[in-house]
Amino acid sequence: MPSLTLLGQSVVSGLLAGGLYALLALGLSLSWGLLRLVNLSHFALALLGAYLTYQLGHAFHLAPWLAAGLIVPAFFALGVVLHVVFARFRVTEFTSLLVTFGLAVILESLIQWFWTADYRRYETPWASASIRVGPLFVPTLELLACLTAATLAVATWAWLRFTYVGKALRAPAEDPAMAGAFGVNHRAHAFVLSGISAAYAGVAGAFIALISTLAPAQIWAWLGTVFAVVIIGGLGNPVGALLAGFLIGVSESVTMAVAAPAWAPLVSFSILIGLLVLRPERV
Amino acid sequence: MRQAIGLLAAGLILAMLPLVGLPAFYESFLYLVFHWVALATSWSLLSGYAGYFSFGHGAFFGAGMYTVATLTAGLGAPFLAALPVAAVVATLLSLGIGAVVFRVKRLRGELFGLLTLAITFVLATIVLNTRLDGGPGVYLSNVPLPRLVASPTGTFYLLALGLAVLTLAAAYTITSSRLGLGLFAIHDDEDVAEVEGVPTFAYKLVAFALSAGIAGVAGGIHAMYVSYLTVPDTFSITVPLYVVLMSVLGGARHWLGPAVGAALITASLYAFTGGQQAILGRAVVAFVLILIVLLLPEGLVPAVLRRARGQRGRTADVAVAPILAAAGARTEAPATLDCRDVWRAFGGIQALRGVSLSVAPGEIVALVGPNGSGKTTLINVISGHHAADRGRVELGAATLTGRPAHEIAGLGVSRTYQIPRPFAHFSALDNVALAATFGSARCAPAEARAEARAWLEFTGLGRRAAALPHELNLHERKFLELARALAGRPRVILLDEVLSGLNPGEIASAVHLIRQIRERGVAILFVEHLMRAVLELSDRVVVLNEGEVIAAGGPREAMRAARVIEVYLGKAHVA
Amino acid sequence: MLLEVRRLAIAYGDAPAVWDATLEVDAGEVVSVIGPNGAGKSTLVNTIAGLHRARSGELRFAGLDLGAVAPHLVCRHGIALVPEGRRLFARMSVEENLDIGCYRGEARRARRETLDRVYHLFPILSERRRQAAGSLSGGQQQMAAIGRALMARPRLLLLDEPSLGLAPAVVDHMFEIIRAIHAEGVTILLVEQNVVRALEIADRAYVLEEGRVVAGGAPAVLREQTRIQEAYLGLRDGGGPS
Repeated sequence: MPSLTLLGQSVVSGLLAGGLYALLALGLSLSWGLLRLVNLSHFALALLGAYLTYQLGHAFHLAPWLAAGLIVPAFFALGVVLHVVFARFRVTEFTSLLVTFGLAVILESLIQWFWTADYRRYETPWASASIRVGPLFVPTLELLACLTAATLAVATWAWLRFTYVGKALRAPAEDPAMAGAFGVNHRAHAFVLSGISAAYAGVAGAFIALISTLAPAQIWAWLGTVFAVVIIGGLGNPVGALLAGFLIGVSESVTMAVAAPAWAPLVSFSILIGLLVLRPERV
Repeated sequence: MRQAIGLLAAGLILAMLPLVGLPAFYESFLYLVFHWVALATSWSLLSGYAGYFSFGHGAFFGAGMYTVATLTAGLGAPFLAALPVAAVVATLLSLGIGAVVFRVKRLRGELFGLLTLAITFVLATIVLNTRLDGGPGVYLSNVPLPRLVASPTGTFYLLALGLAVLTLAAAYTITSSRLGLGLFAIHDDEDVAEVEGVPTFAYKLVAFALSAGIAGVAGGIHAMYVSYLTVPDTFSITVPLYVVLMSVLGGARHWLGPAVGAALITASLYAFTGGQQAILGRAVVAFVLILIVLLLPEGLVPAVLRRARGQRGRTADVAVAPILAAAGARTEAPATLDCRDVWRAFGGIQALRGVSLSVAPGEIVALVGPNGSGKTTLINVISGHHAADRGRVELGAATLTGRPAHEIAGLGVSRTYQIPRPFAHFSALDNVALAATFGSARCAPAEARAEARAWLEFTGLGRRAAALPHELNLHERKFLELARALAGRPRVILLDEVLSGLNPGEIASAVHLIRQIRERGVAILFVEHLMRAVLELSDRVVVLNEGEVIAAGGPREAMRAARVIEVYLGKAHVA
Repeated sequence: MLLEVRRLAIAYGDAPAVWDATLEVDAGEVVSVIGPNGAGKSTLVNTIAGLHRARSGELRFAGLDLGAVAPHLVCRHGIALVPEGRRLFARMSVEENLDIGCYRGEARRARRETLDRVYHLFPILSERRRQAAGSLSGGQQQMAAIGRALMARPRLLLLDEPSLGLAPAVVDHMFEIIRAIHAEGVTILLVEQNVVRALEIADRAYVLEEGRVVAGGAPAVLREQTRIQEAYLGLRDGGGPS
């Protein structure tokens, strides 16, 4: 049985990891919940953002937040373009799965072409910085990622909840025709939503670059966990995604401390499978 | 038949090649082609034909690989004996998953895909952490390979060829059998397929099991081929991705489609060998997938065939069995439909409150009532789409309540839908033939098409037999629905607003048809709003309001009953 | 003439629902459209609200050709719909549903005032304002749907079968409210299965049967006509079917 300190540390790591999961899950939860389109290329996009952050930092010595300042708007535009294609071909929820599957592979190939399959690490002086809280270490970068996730999640939730536009985004998910009858132009909104979702992927990417080692195969590694977070947190629910991220992060991390590290993925997938089988109406 | 012979001939010729001395390079390349042909074709047995897109084919493939690895390297069993065990393990895995998942109605489409993907990851984690692999991987280099021909590559070639031929043969047989027909129907509309008599749960399980078993064997062979297994390579996204790609490219609904896709993609990937080119190759393949999904969703093979044949759907070149001759032969003993005190609620709403009615053979009973009175719910309960909370429904001596919908169809109950629900990818003829195959008539495929022809003639759609549903207008689709309901040789027909949307001339023909159906001794219960038709056609009328029967009797008396007038028009009219 | 419908033909795909509808509604009137099920009443009303496009014929609102207006812009001209079956946004709260009602610019500015009026008309909605709309009872949902439409401060209110599925006492209350709304100057086009209520409240009425307007005029006149009995019950005086 590991010591209390070890357990405490793993809870902290779990929360921080969960924050990053939530950051990744945010965009996906929005597009799946509100647009009813499954975007499997979301992770690939985030990883592309990570590599671009790395490249801008490595080759042009651009600080990460500056790089993000370039990447995030560019990704917004990408998201809009993607939805233009979807709208043009009247893509259904199911077809979107296949198309984005293909897109994810293309993005992975793109990444591998330019950056090879070698591991890449964004070297930064803050990488090893951490805050001391009693006997526990809280790595600064990960804390920042977690806080960003929380801020974005709460801000998005508040935006959806309290503003007119937010309500106008939620209503068509249930009854587009009736929303239209009261003036909601859900077609135009869909483009914006798609852009925002991609922009969030860009933000997630910037943090991934700072925190993790980059390799193209990571696209698929995070896929299952993030889908679990989205479904457990509830489609279209940003704060739900945040909490689900924490839940999964902590359960994985505690499992790692108590049992063997390699068992960790089992936790999130098992929860996901259980949820899909027992409560499919949540999706 | 020609296709089957062609397949066997091709198989034999290909089998000769190693004996004639094919260079090892080609043997290896063709091994891979056959390997993917088997994998992609097996995937489409469930996912292509029935539409349950699985992203977990890698789980069964991996299960097969590791079964063989464990048995041969770990336990010293002979390789060829390990292969059937690999098939069994993979099959059991799929049956376990299917038994749970196929019962959950909402787990279709993309949810099924996600679930199967998740299961693959779970399996991978389990294998990685137990003695099955444990981390360092498994070596099979010490396992002796039985030599079917002189070279090892030749042996693999033959093994894979054998599997590919078997798989294609299975696919071909299925597509021309009842199982295939049922799977294709499930793809288009699972609920309607069930109501037409297709045992959907059983068929999905069989297709899933078969597809998993074949993947397991392919994995087993491949384990020996690579001779060093690691979890990341075995359970990577490659297998799930490629089988989807190959099937969608070639045409997931055609027995040869995935094979064509497999050959094309393997060949193009081989063309891009080495380092950067391999990456480019993958990207190109993915791009092609996107194009196909968006522009040619049916796949290459069906598109090419359509061009070649210049016609759509399958035409029936079978003799038209005269209706009268077919009439006496297989009609089951007519029976009375009896609903006794049926209750059904949805959430907080009580849709049916103790409804009792009966319909005798050759009787036409109209079921009328305001919107929301429970008419369609009653039909759904009788046909088995919903279960009754309380009460019984009997047909002659048999009890219908409590049985799954496909059994009820088999006992002789047919229904039509308010908004027609034909199987979108089936021609008119095949739509009707399906009902003949799975309904109480239980025809063999060839008979079924003759029967279908006859019923299409009966409803006036003879010339439209080869048309697809979207090419038919509303009136034709309604009559197709009617023909489909009749082809099952039912003893009871439930018609749900069959006249709505028709113009007066069409209504007249429909009324005429319904009378003719009555003459054959079928019991008819029909829901209708068009009061003129109700009065003209029905022997008795049952009026429902808010789930209860408020009047029943001859058409004129029932409609004149005070309560009925009140419900329809309001109190002031009761005078 | 506030609303003019001339020879409108509407179809769903290739299934014609309305063949030849002609009717008019003047500002300040209550006009009822009655007819049996499947006659095309909902289709007609949905088309006026912009949910559906007519195949041919004329549809004018205050002189403006509605056929040329994009679906989501129709409400801007002052038309609000209370659809058949309520169609509330079930997972959103009652108040959020009302907010969607006043989404368009003008209505949004008057939100506070309109909201007060709606809560005054329907006190139960005020009580349950934070509850998910899907959890309300049928009658309450109907009130919420009417409230949502009122939030749009419409000139023309379209009501599609408001009494459907409701208990008689609740229906009484509903029609009182409709009278109150009318008294405030809103023009009303009411589609109803319940003939008595529909004729009681109307200034004028039309009978829609199998997609065609077959009669129209003052309620008292229509009531006498056997046309209504025929349409609903299929009975002609003298007994035989047509």
